[in-house]
Formats: sequence, structure tokens, C-alpha cells
Amino acid sequence: MFVADSWFRITLSRYGRWYLRAFAVWLLFGQITATGPRATLGPPQTVETAKSQVCVHTRLIDEVWEWKIQRSLQYVREMGVDTIVEFFPWAYIEGTQGRYDWEPADRIVRHAHNQGLQIIARMGFVPAWARPDVDDQFSTLNYLPESSFEDFADFVADFALRYAGVIDHIIIWNEPNLAFEWGYRPVDPEGYVRLLQAVYERAHAANPAILILAAALAPTLEPPGSPNGLDDLLYLKALMEAGAADYFDALAIHTYGFTEAPEVEPAEDLLNYRRAELLYEILQQYDHKPVYITETGWNDHPRWTKAVRPAQRIRYTLDALDWAIHHWAWAEKVCLWALRFPAPTQSYPDNFTLITPEFQLRPIYYALQNYARGWGMDRDLWLPAPAE
Amino acid sequence: MAARTCRVSSIRLALILTAAIWLLSMVLYWNTLQRPALPLKEVFPYGELRIAIDASNPPFAVATADDFVGLEVDLGRMLATEIGISARFVNMTFDSLYDSLKADQVDIVIATLSIDPLRTREVRYTRPYFNAGLVLVSPAHMGFSHMRQLSGYTLSYEFGSSADSQSRVWLRRIPSFEVRPYELPQHALDAVRLNDAEAALVDRVSTRLYLRQHSDWSVHLEDVTYVPYVIAARFDRELLWEAVDKALQVLIEDGRLTEMINKWL
Repeated sequence: MFVADSWFRITLSRYGRWYLRAFAVWLLFGQITATGPRATLGPPQTVETAKSQVCVHTRLIDEVWEWKIQRSLQYVREMGVDTIVEFFPWAYIEGTQGRYDWEPADRIVRHAHNQGLQIIARMGFVPAWARPDVDDQFSTLNYLPESSFEDFADFVADFALRYAGVIDHIIIWNEPNLAFEWGYRPVDPEGYVRLLQAVYERAHAANPAILILAAALAPTLEPPGSPNGLDDLLYLKALMEAGAADYFDALAIHTYGFTEAPEVEPAEDLLNYRRAELLYEILQQYDHKPVYITETGWNDHPRWTKAVRPAQRIRYTLDALDWAIHHWAWAEKVCLWALRFPAPTQSYPDNFTLITPEFQLRPIYYALQNYARGWGMDRDLWLPAPAE
Repeated sequence: MAARTCRVSSIRLALILTAAIWLLSMVLYWNTLQRPALPLKEVFPYGELRIAIDASNPPFAVATADDFVGLEVDLGRMLATEIGISARFVNMTFDSLYDSLKADQVDIVIATLSIDPLRTREVRYTRPYFNAGLVLVSPAHMGFSHMRQLSGYTLSYEFGSSADSQSRVWLRRIPSFEVRPYELPQHALDAVRLNDAEAALVDRVSTRLYLRQHSDWSVHLEDVTYVPYVIAARFDRELLWEAVDKALQVLIEDGRLTEMINKWL
């Protein structure tokens, strides 16, 4: 018992139980953490669009708050875009072999479906249990040993089954022509074909309507033997030569404009928007399959050497979409990288986004909304320079 | 069970409180004491101040045939002089600046960096040496100092830029004003100078460069956003950071930094 003299004489026997009760209440309320707005599903929405080819790549899987996922997807719908590309990392969902935590994927799928959006799912990221033992060999999240191809195929099949009817497009891996994306190993087109082979039948058995997309390749001019990767045109040829056509239904393509206008002619030694045409030509030499442009866009970071001015970025992006609509009937979707990041990178990748992490809509968002919803827009986005 | 009673006299309590307050004030006082400076050799073990710059960003840093020039080059040299050692510049691409710091290739980075909250466990930032935020530019006789004064007037800006975003925010907050988007910030400033608009919202660097070319044009500038440029040092080199920050403080206080900015911008 604690007693202090004078006016604050206190005894534990008298007030101790109240201290305990107050402590219990404090403990109880301490469990209540600050939450954002609730993300309750409203009535199902439909997308109003005048340009159904336009699509956007989201980055929702790393978003902590569900309401931010919902808000992001609402903005996609309001922009007049009916399809998103989203990453569903294997390592997040099957962190322990055979034990699935579907919630991170479920909440994205739930809200996308509610907003009337289709999802093209990209698969990747290898859980630790499917990689070599850390004591034996260094590996990254992108390191998928051949011995784990079947485990990966199991996961893709389970994913395809769970989301059948909502997700009918799955991209297998990302940019396997880069050493970084292939687990810091030399790139291996034949190895990637074996991965497609492992997945293809299993996924179709799980969901007969599924479309398996061969991974988009990174636009690069890396020559054969480079430790960094391999030219995307060369890699695609090697892929098709290795018999990949039997194990995918469509090809995903990444094509960026960098500092070039979208109309600039493609060339084998040039990275620009119309490089997609060269990839498509190679594909057609082997098989007639559709194409999904799953990443494209321009960047307006003031310091990045491959960026353009903000006004140019908007002009080029709109012209690129127009180009695809009028010249690329073979492109099922043209998806812009990227809607929004959960947090700023404080570097040039931020200037690929349409919405800031704080949900401020960038001017390019409004321009794309006008375009995709067919609200009409003057050909001249800005005024001519004032005359002296 | 009989309760055990522990009595603490109010005098003892007062003594404990006094001692605690005294101890706290001693700690605070100790922190304000000027500690003897370490020898330069210990703070700068390479005997020079190695500075990473991005010499592709005029007028802050540019590579000439045999040297580097620019505001940040002058700043780096002046900081080194103030500290009492020589400066050596290492040209880095924008993407490699922080890596060069991490790999101990350089001591500090002066390259129009803004504070990145995600790096503050690895990097210490100095006080700012330049604010590159947006400014509201209006003719001196109009002197707009608040967004509300724009109502009924015309605002020009660079289409698609952060000024465009800011003007959209203003349009939602204040009675309507007309907007005139242009392809380049220089055109937005031309519009005000040539009476096509009453105000322009443009970044401070573009504004200052423009005003150098039109020195006879009398304008009022009002800061709208704050984008501070700072110098970065490794987090574990606190004494180095402190030396650089103090030198920067001296340059700010004696006006040499302002002179430098006026020279280049």
C-alpha cells in the first residue's frame, strides 16, 4: 500500500482496484488501433468507357489499408478503364508450403469485381521454402529453381480455380530476359519455356477459360552474353524456337516511349513505343496469338534522362493510345504503368503514376479520363506560346 | 490481511523532484556546450571533402571540358574552404547519388536533393540551401500574395506540371478564375509579361532563370510550395555532417549563399 503525506494521501487498498480497472480499460482501448474509412462494398458498379482497349497497371498488393485499395479502384472505374493488371506474389499467399493466406488477394479481387473491373493477374515472387536453402546458396525472391516449377504450377492452378470467372488472364512471371528478374542468374529462354509448360495444363485444368500470358519482356538492347540480360527481340525469338507457342495463349508486352514520340518508327536498335510492333512480328512468324500491352507510358521526372516534360508526357500518352486503337487491332489491351504507388519512391518512378500516394489526381489522370470516357477534348491541350 | 503502509514524506518527494529537474537541466546544458573540435583528419579521413554532384543539371552543376561549374559546385568549394580543406567533385548519375554515399565513394551529396523521409536512418540532411517550390508571379503593381486575389483574373502555368495540379486545387477552393495552360513554364511567364494573364504559377528555378533574361520586368514573387534542396551525408558520420551544416549556416548568415544563388539564378 502506498501512502503519501498531506493533501495527496492515497492508499492502494482504497484506490488500488480502481487503478487496476483503469489499467484494464487502457489495455482494452489500446487494442483499438486507428483505422481509415471503412471499406464496405457498395452496390456493384459498371465501368462507362468509350475506349475499352485502355487499361491501367495498379500496385495494390502492398497497400496496407483496404479503403485505399477501394479508393484506387474507384478512381480506375471513374477514369473509364475497365481492366487492371495487378501483381499477386506467390510468396505473400503461400508463405508456408500448402498453407494459403488468400486475404491479400481476396480484398483486391473483391473490390475490383465490385467496381466492375477485370483483372489481369501477374504471378511471381518465390517463397523461401521453394528456394534453395539460404546456407547453400544465395537467392532472391525472383529465384525459381527448376525443382520448384511444379510447386509454382500448383499455386497457379489453385489461384486460377479460386478466382475463375473473375480473373481469366494470368501472366507467368515478369521480364525473364533480365538477370535480376531471373534470380540474378543468366537468362534462360529454354528454362522459361519449361516453366510455361509446367503451368499451362494445370491452369487450364483448373479453369478452362483461363488465358495464360507469356511474360512481358523488358525493353532492352543487352547483347547475348551480357550479365544483365538479353535483348527482348532476341529473347522472344529464342523462346519461340524453343517451342513456347504450345504453352501460352497470348503474349504480354512491355513497351515504353522514353523520350521518343509514339509515332516514331521502330528499329531493332531503338527502344521506343512502337518496338511492340517488332515483338508482334516475331510472334506472328511462329503463331497467331493476341497481345496484351501490360506496361507502357512516359515519365516526366525533371531529373531522369529518359523523361519528357509534363505536357509532352500527356500528349504522347494520348497519342500512343490513339495509335494502338487505330493501328494495333491485335493489342487486346494497352495498360499504362502505373495508377498509384502505396508510398512515394522519392525518385523518378513516382513520375510514372497517375495519382499520388495521397490520392491527388495528377493532370494526366484528368486527360486520360476525358479520353477514355469520350468526354471530348481539344486536340490542343495547351495554348500556343504568347507572341511578343 | 493487514495492509502494509509505506510512507513517503512530501519533503523527500520534493527533494527527488528537485534532483530530477537539476539532472535534466544539466543534460540539456551539456548538449549546448561547445565541445572541442576534433582534428580535421579525423572528421575527413581522406584529407579532402569528396562531393558527389550530378553534372547534367544546369545551372546547378555542369561538366565542361576540364572542370565542373554551377551553383552546387561553387557551394561545395565554399563549404570546403569554410571548413578548411580542399574539395574534390565526383560526377554521378542521378540514380547513383545515394549509392555513392553508401559505398563511401563520397562524403556528401550536393545535387538538388530533397529530404527523403525513408532514408533518414541512413542519411543525415543539412539545413536547406535553396527552395525550389512553386512561386506565384505577378506584375509588381498587382502584387498577388494570396490565392484568393486570383478570383476574376487569369492564371497561367505549365500544362501537366505540379503548378497545373495546384491550380486545380485552387479552382476548387476559391471563386473562379480563368486558366491558361502552356507547354513550358517560360511561356506561362511570357503570358504575364505580355498581359495575357495576371499571374503565373511556376517553379522558382524557371522563374529566376526567366527573370535574368527579362531584368527590366518588375514582378512580385510569392512562395506557394516549399521544396527545399539539402545536402546529404552518411548517418554514421555525424561530425562530418555537423561540420558541413555549420559551414552552410555561416554561408547563409554572411550572405555568401545568396550571392552565389544570384550569380547562377
